[in-house]
Amino acid sequence: MSIRSRNVPVPDISEEDVIEAMKDIQGYMDITPADFREIYRTAYRHAVSRLLKTLKAAEIMTQNVHVLYADTPLNEAAALLADKGITGTPVTDGSNHVIGVISEKDFLRRMGAGKSDSFMQITARLITNGGCLTDNIKAKTVGEIMSSPAVTITEDVSVGTLSALMSSRNINRLPVVDADGGLKGIVTRSDIINSFGVFGGFDD
Amino acid sequence: MINFLRKMEGKTQSPPAAGIVEVIWAWIGSFTGIAAVGLIHFYLLDNTASIMLIGSFGASAVLIYGVIRSPLAQPRNLMGGHIISALIGVTVFKILGDIQWLAAAAAVSTAIALMHITKTLHPPGGATALIAVIGGESVHRLGYVYVLMPVGLGALIMLAVALLVNNISSKRSYPEFWL
Repeated sequence: MSIRSRNVPVPDISEEDVIEAMKDIQGYMDITPADFREIYRTAYRHAVSRLLKTLKAAEIMTQNVHVLYADTPLNEAAALLADKGITGTPVTDGSNHVIGVISEKDFLRRMGAGKSDSFMQITARLITNGGCLTDNIKAKTVGEIMSSPAVTITEDVSVGTLSALMSSRNINRLPVVDADGGLKGIVTRSDIINSFGVFGGFDD
Repeated sequence: MINFLRKMEGKTQSPPAAGIVEVIWAWIGSFTGIAAVGLIHFYLLDNTASIMLIGSFGASAVLIYGVIRSPLAQPRNLMGGHIISALIGVTVFKILGDIQWLAAAAAVSTAIALMHITKTLHPPGGATALIAVIGGESVHRLGYVYVLMPVGLGALIMLAVALLVNNISSKRSYPEFWL
C-alpha cells in the first residue's frame, strides 16, 4: 500500500496566507498565489512520502520492552499490564526470542468464548445470562491465550511499511527483532502518532 | 467547448505590489543600465554604423532590475536568452527574410522553443529575435555580428550594472543562480 494511494491530509494554507507571506518578503515574487499553493501541497506530499520511507522502526521504537513468559499465570499478566498502563506485550522464551504477543484482544477473545466479542458485547451477554467475566480464563497461562506466531519487524523497516502492516493485520504493536529473532524493541500505534511530530513545523 | 471557455475565467489573484523601496531600486538600476548602453550608443558609436541600443534591452531592464528574484531574470537567462534568440533571428531572416510576416513569426516562436529547451527563457529574447527580422537596414547589415554587438555586449554591460546595483541594499541580492 503506497502512500500515494491514500489522501495525505495537507495543512491547508489559504490564498490569504500566501499573500501575507509574499508581503513579508522583500522583492516582487514572480508567481501567483494559486501556483504557490499548488507547489506547496505537492511538495508537502512528497515530503510525507519521503519521511515515511526514510524514517525507520529503529528511530521510533521503544527499547525497554516489558515482556511476559508463556508460563506466566493470567492474573499476573493482567496485573503487569495494568500496572504499566499498557495494552499488550511480546511473549518471549528464556533466550529473549519472541514467541508470541499477548494483548487485551487476546483476553477479550477468550472471555467471549472464542467469538470476537467486544467488552460491551460480553458484558451484555453476561448480564442477560448470568455468569462471570473470567469464567473461561481462570487458571490459564499466557501461553494458552497469546497470539502466536507473532508478527514482527526488523529495525530497518520504514515507518510507511510498518504502519501499513498494522493497518492490514489490525494489530497495535510490532515487536522489533534482530536477525536471530531476539527482541530489540517495540513499535506501537502511539509511537507512530508521536513520530508525526516530524511532519509539523517547517522552521526554515 | 464550455470547459474551454471556463479556463479563461481566471482562478487566482495578482500577487501583492512591490514596496516603494523595491520600486526605487528598480528605477535606479534600470536608469543606470540603460544609460550605460545608451551612452555608448549615442556617443561612443556616434559616427560609426554600429548600434548598441535595441528595444529588447528595455524589456531586459524590467526583469534584471525590477524582478531580480525571477528565474527569468537570472544571468543565464539574460545572456543565454538574448544570444540564442539573436542567432535564431538572424538565421531565420537569412532563410525566410523575403516573406516578412513569416520570418517574424518563425523567428519569435523558434526562439521561444529554443530558450525553453536550453532553460534560458528570457522574454526580451523574443524581441531580440523579432528585431533581427524587422530591425531595418542597420540590423540586417550586421548579419551574425548582431549576436555579438549590440546583443551580447549590450546584455553583458547591463548584467554588470545589475550585479553592482542589485546587491547594494542589504535586503536584495542577485543573482539567484548562475548556472
